[in-house]
Amino acid sequence: MGTWVQTMLVIMLIHLTAGTPVWAVLGQAKASVEKDRAAMGGQVQSKLAPGYSVETITVVGMTIKEYVSLDGTVFAVTWKGTGVPNLRLLFDAYFDEYLDALTELQNKKPRLRRPLMLKTENLVIERSGHARNMWGRAFIPSHLPAMVSPKDIQ
Amino acid sequence: MAYRAVVIACLWFVSACGSSGGGNGSAGPQPPNVLTVTVGGSSVCRIVNQLCTQVTICQPGTSTCQTISDILVDTGSIGVRIFGSVLSIPLQQEVESPGHPIGECVSFIDGSALWGSVQLADVVLAGEPAVTVPIHVIAPTFAGQSPSQNPCNSVVDSDPRTAGFNGILGIGLFTHDCGISCEINDNNNLYFSCVASTCGSIAAPLPTQVQNPVWLLPSDNNGVILTLPNVPAMGAPVLSGSVILGIGTASNNSPPPGISTFTTDQNGFLTTIYNGTTFAQSIIDTGSNGYFFPDSTLPLCPMPDQDFYCPSAAADLSAAIFGVNAGRATVPFQVANTANLLQTGNAVFNNLGGPSSSFDWGLPFFLGRVVFVGIEGQLSTLGTGPLYAF
Repeated sequence: MGTWVQTMLVIMLIHLTAGTPVWAVLGQAKASVEKDRAAMGGQVQSKLAPGYSVETITVVGMTIKEYVSLDGTVFAVTWKGTGVPNLRLLFDAYFDEYLDALTELQNKKPRLRRPLMLKTENLVIERSGHARNMWGRAFIPSHLPAMVSPKDIQ
Repeated sequence: MAYRAVVIACLWFVSACGSSGGGNGSAGPQPPNVLTVTVGGSSVCRIVNQLCTQVTICQPGTSTCQTISDILVDTGSIGVRIFGSVLSIPLQQEVESPGHPIGECVSFIDGSALWGSVQLADVVLAGEPAVTVPIHVIAPTFAGQSPSQNPCNSVVDSDPRTAGFNGILGIGLFTHDCGISCEINDNNNLYFSCVASTCGSIAAPLPTQVQNPVWLLPSDNNGVILTLPNVPAMGAPVLSGSVILGIGTASNNSPPPGISTFTTDQNGFLTTIYNGTTFAQSIIDTGSNGYFFPDSTLPLCPMPDQDFYCPSAAADLSAAIFGVNAGRATVPFQVANTANLLQTGNAVFNNLGGPSSSFDWGLPFFLGRVVFVGIEGQLSTLGTGPLYAF
């Protein structure tokens, strides 16, 4: 664990010296988890599950879980807290795809208000909850490790 | 605070003074704690199963007021939010200590978001005394932002026509729209301080936060009661009901004997068990337009309504709701063919449903029911909130 922390610190220092924080995430390497943690000023805990690990970043009012496959790719994220984290940073390369699909959905007539369920070309996004406590998840179905079901992403 | 006549400087801009069916108790025979709420019959508040009302906003400490119609009644959010484009009276901008204006970005579960400034206003609900409270003045261009470039990192609703409301009256389970975590965490992504067109997330002390105006009322401040009639199986073009302010504080808001109370967890969630699956984060929300829950046996509608259920015959369903107290109830409900319902052109349905990964008891749940919403930390004869009772 000590070595892991040191590695993380090194990554964080590299990150800090690199200037602008680049959150990362969906579809990216595990190192991006640390960028998120640093950008949020949070703490991270790692937990192993069969076929993947879950990196949990905790800050006041928000918990973000990043699901990492054995090959080191982040294939899902979940969040829960008083607001919504910066999804542009969390979805990274997939954000525009999300926003386009969301805009299309909102332009639909009749536009109804309900928990979000969105499938884009590469992504599944769901959001629910209410004021003060909202939660959501996004995953890349094609990156889901074998043995992992969407039900495991909570 | 002294009682203030509801509409003194009445402005035609948004709604007529004393318009028919209005919810302002000062004009009609309504008790002062009764807000009239409606579905249908409006060109702004025009989404099916969208419950709306009117509120009066005044310049703080003055009698310069404006009554604004088409305000979404939302038990799933907290606080008053009004599009700046329909406000024609000046309010008082909330500032961070160096004098920078405070903005807010609020997100909703449908993925939509609203950006604008936080301003102090006097808010008048029905015939109640005015309360002075920070409200969200929705303005996509506030602090040099735009509908597509803003701190929400989303496309925010740009005007009442896009949003389907002039504003929101958030009267859910809580007093503040963020609470203690926004007081502690400056990286909350809800409250922002703006210098020119650069906005950064800031910690917001509780008094600065947008708040549920009900909890600030001098007496009817421990919750609300939603009383809506039921509608026929194929819906109705309009519906009129009441939001009664206060629980057990007046002659018209005492809980009836035998009512079941459901205390929520600290996050405002109840547990719903449906078809053997437990949903520990289920919500009861007037702002959701239907019942939303997963059921793979219910067929989805053909395009473009594939986000809704379309059973060939109306499905009689049932789920159990549990509070964190001993409160439990089996709730029967019906989901009909959404495409057929929408074809009627009606505005309100008690059997509209669609898929979701969670369980969301939306507006249909409230039809034909009397639902009590007890605010966190506030005591009533039902107990201390957050709670529901029905």
